[in-house]
Amino acid sequence: MTGPLGPPTVEPLPDAAWNRVERGLWNHMDRESAVSRPQPRRPRLWLAVPVLAAAALALWLGFRSHDTQPIDDEPTRIVAGATPSSASFGDAHVELDANTALDMFHQGRSPSAMVEYGAAWFSVAPRGVRPPFEVRAGDAIVRVIGTRFRVARDAEHVDVLVDHGIVEVRFRGALVTLTANQSWSSAKPTEIATSETHASIDPAPAMKQPDVVAPPASTPPPPPTLTPNRVDIERARYETLQRLEAKRPDAAMTGYLELSKGSSKWAPIALFAAARLAVDRHDRRAKSLLTIYLNRFQQGANADDARQLLRRLDEGTP
Amino acid sequence: MGTNVSSAARDEDLAIARRAAGGDRVAQRALFVALRRAVHHTLYRILGSNRDIEDLVQDAFIEIFRALPTFRGDSTLSRWCQTITTRIAYLAISRRRPATIELTLVEDVVADGSPDAHRVALARDAARRLYAALDHLDPHKRVAFALAVIDGLSLREVAELTGSSTFAVKTRVWRGRRELYKRAQNDPVLREYLGALDGGDR
Repeated sequence: MTGPLGPPTVEPLPDAAWNRVERGLWNHMDRESAVSRPQPRRPRLWLAVPVLAAAALALWLGFRSHDTQPIDDEPTRIVAGATPSSASFGDAHVELDANTALDMFHQGRSPSAMVEYGAAWFSVAPRGVRPPFEVRAGDAIVRVIGTRFRVARDAEHVDVLVDHGIVEVRFRGALVTLTANQSWSSAKPTEIATSETHASIDPAPAMKQPDVVAPPASTPPPPPTLTPNRVDIERARYETLQRLEAKRPDAAMTGYLELSKGSSKWAPIALFAAARLAVDRHDRRAKSLLTIYLNRFQQGANADDARQLLRRLDEGTP
Repeated sequence: MGTNVSSAARDEDLAIARRAAGGDRVAQRALFVALRRAVHHTLYRILGSNRDIEDLVQDAFIEIFRALPTFRGDSTLSRWCQTITTRIAYLAISRRRPATIELTLVEDVVADGSPDAHRVALARDAARRLYAALDHLDPHKRVAFALAVIDGLSLREVAELTGSSTFAVKTRVWRGRRELYKRAQNDPVLREYLGALDGGDR
């Protein structure tokens, strides 16, 4: 507002709205290009049939092992208030700092997250044949190849830090690739910083909540920071198990179950991971594990997912 | 404006337009990201709120992508998109059915009572009254008034965006203003707001 009687302020659209607009736009463009594409004359269908069948089989085999999440057009909003929070989304695990909001959704088959504000660590299983995982924050798009990384956002300022693995950051047409211990900031989009420790990376200078969020009553929230909290052995164990899933699922399952016996915040996460892995592998323990999870952690971050998986198992749907 | 487009900027605009027109999704997305705020800004200025604006932003970009093969670089890509957006806004207000019920304008509750919060609430109220009055204008006048008086564009720029002559725009703004002042006779808040906008008139 320039003054009490100045021109009215243009109220910005929230990220979730931009996200809807963009998805609607690309869907429309895809439909339009499919309609306008000229049909070939006299197609030799008999030639295409075996190729298509093989491709369909390969896709089915490639995706069936981890395609337990429905494709959902409506984003799921996850908000961490005064305390940090964590959640699983498909094969990704997300740890939200306090005062952070994310939208999780599927774009086509690809799981995606939109950082509305704040910061979060993402642990994403190696993609391999899986659809890519994308994190968006403002104009930055972080495409994930299988890694653990952190995205912090304050209004239009975005920081990305990679713990291990590789991510690609697309920002206003430019693309940079980050590997372990490298970071990127939208303030200097062409530069990649390398650090021995993450603690040396400074977050955005003047942190404030975006306009779409109601301001807190008294003290402003602490700014999102790229500095990890303390070294968490259990978290490291969990992440190792996640990486193990693709190659040695039995060992990962044993490790998850071991980790779930504790009383730390990683116990429910590990128990749900074990249950999810069991469902993926059609393991007969799946139902019991989901039931145990719901008994132990009725209000757990993955309670809804657990109920949904259990319902599917009861109904016999894949 | 068009004649001032530098050669490098023009080449850049033409290159991305050509790629996006050819179906390159990366170029289309880059264009969307680069222009979305400008598109939203133009729509908001003419319509006055974010109500229904998501669909209109999407419509504007669909039209922009459809029309990209015709972009020749005579103006900046941004200004060219703004022209299309203005047309989308014009069509939207032309299609709108006239309001049959006057909504009561309620002043925002000022939570903390600070002068700043009060100032914001006053300005919001005035803006709501202005756009409620604009709803009664003919779409041509409304678009011209919104772009020239509220957004502060020059008459020549508004003429380019609306595909009209400068004289036509000037007439529409003048007539629009006259109608608004007539509506403001019994509304001191609106009258004062119009006066303030005219005070900064270009």
